[in-house]
Amino acid sequence: MQYMLLIYEDEAGYGDKYDSPEVRDITARHMALVGELGPTLVSGAGLMPTATATTVRTTGGKQAVHDGPFAETKEQLGGYYLIEAPDLDAAIAIARRIPLRVDGAIEVRPLIVH
Amino acid sequence: MTALDRAARDHKGRVVAALAARFRDLDLAEEGFAEACARAVTAWVPTPPRDPAAWLFRVADRVALDALRKRAIRAGAALPPPDPELNAEELLMADSALIPDERLRLIFICCHPAIHPEARAALTLKLVCGLSAQEIAHAFLIPETTLAQRLVRAKRKIADAGVPFEVPGPDAWPDRLGAVLSTIEIAYAKAHEDAGGAGRHAGYAREILDITRTLASLTPQEPEVLALAATVRFAEARRPARIDATGMMVPLDRQDPALWDQALIAEGRIHLARALALGSTGARTLQALIHAEWCLRRSLVDPAPWRSILVLYDALLQLRDDPVIRLNRAVALAEIAGPAVALAEVDALDAAMLADFLPWHAVRADLLARLDLTDAACAAYDAALRLKPEKAERLWLEAQRTTLDR
Repeated sequence: MQYMLLIYEDEAGYGDKYDSPEVRDITARHMALVGELGPTLVSGAGLMPTATATTVRTTGGKQAVHDGPFAETKEQLGGYYLIEAPDLDAAIAIARRIPLRVDGAIEVRPLIVH
Repeated sequence: MTALDRAARDHKGRVVAALAARFRDLDLAEEGFAEACARAVTAWVPTPPRDPAAWLFRVADRVALDALRKRAIRAGAALPPPDPELNAEELLMADSALIPDERLRLIFICCHPAIHPEARAALTLKLVCGLSAQEIAHAFLIPETTLAQRLVRAKRKIADAGVPFEVPGPDAWPDRLGAVLSTIEIAYAKAHEDAGGAGRHAGYAREILDITRTLASLTPQEPEVLALAATVRFAEARRPARIDATGMMVPLDRQDPALWDQALIAEGRIHLARALALGSTGARTLQALIHAEWCLRRSLVDPAPWRSILVLYDALLQLRDDPVIRLNRAVALAEIAGPAVALAEVDALDAAMLADFLPWHAVRADLLARLDLTDAACAAYDAALRLKPEKAERLWLEAQRTTLDR
């Protein structure tokens, strides 16, 4: 099965720029995990902060484009891993290894099989 | 209860677990079992099979295979011809020793941390203990439709999120066992609440004795598992003494120990001794020790062990400080330090949080009555009775309330 591991953290901890020392440090830790995962990892990426987000919303058939993320939350989606795992326990085991700066959450979601 | 009803209840857990392990599909396992029961209605007349469990397993297995075959054909797969139908004689001779015991696996699936805690106990009672949705809804005081939704959602999550159909490796046990044990505790608490439960709940308490025995034999190094197995035995051993001839509840300190099941108590002591030998001082071990202390009593002439009980509750409070433990401790405290001291403790608890908790009102009522605060005691008994207790408990509360009116 394939699972998407969505990383939620308070992005304020990384500063305004995506090349802060905190970002460089976490990136190095992510790259180390990517190396360890090998072919288990299908893809993955980090996302720029929500300040860069634009939302296209459709309401009653009308579309509007506006600044900002889909929802204002305490922790924001900051990146993802798409992995291949035999079952949920294996996916959870990988989710546990994903580095976080301090606190945060990894949401484990199976992909729809077509 | 017909022979078939009894067989269905007694063997459901084992048969569904074996089918679930084989097909890795809970719905297929349950539907196969239900269809086997439906076929048994006519097939078991006039001669029921020698081994009902084996009959149900073989037929359910066949039903599930047929369902899979139909699914595959609908998906356009070319399949080899089906196996010949099982003949009646074969089915009559089938032996349940051939059904693999996969119940532990099923328990770990039902109690996976990815399943909502409220759904875990319901799922375990339904699949492993063979209770009907109606019985579980009744035990949890929720509408049947709510329960059905929870069960469907939990089963869908298990299938869609890829919850593994394996017993987790030993490294995952500390993490996973906690969820399993608390689920069994919730399930057992529901069975235990009903003091008079002779038919419906007695069967399910038996299943919990079974499950804890299986768990304890598979994990002889886990003190908390052993302690829970002990507690369930001590508590269940007292069931025959928990109601009197009129159907009224008998409080623990007034139960005649001669009525307690000494064989079950002895079994409990073996489990508890093993837990203690492993050096356990966990909360479940302390709880088992409290039960063990009561079970030492041989007759009503022996003094009740309130002093030791209080010491054990003091220790338990250090590990797990919750209002229910404080309330139980207050009951022992009343016997040692007097009802006024105990009432002060009980009144210091969060009344709003305990407003729907019947034992809180019952304990308060008893303490108030002992202090001759009759009006307050009557009000507390009325509050307890408004929470619609089971018959045995209701009779007891009404009797206590009546003595105050005189």
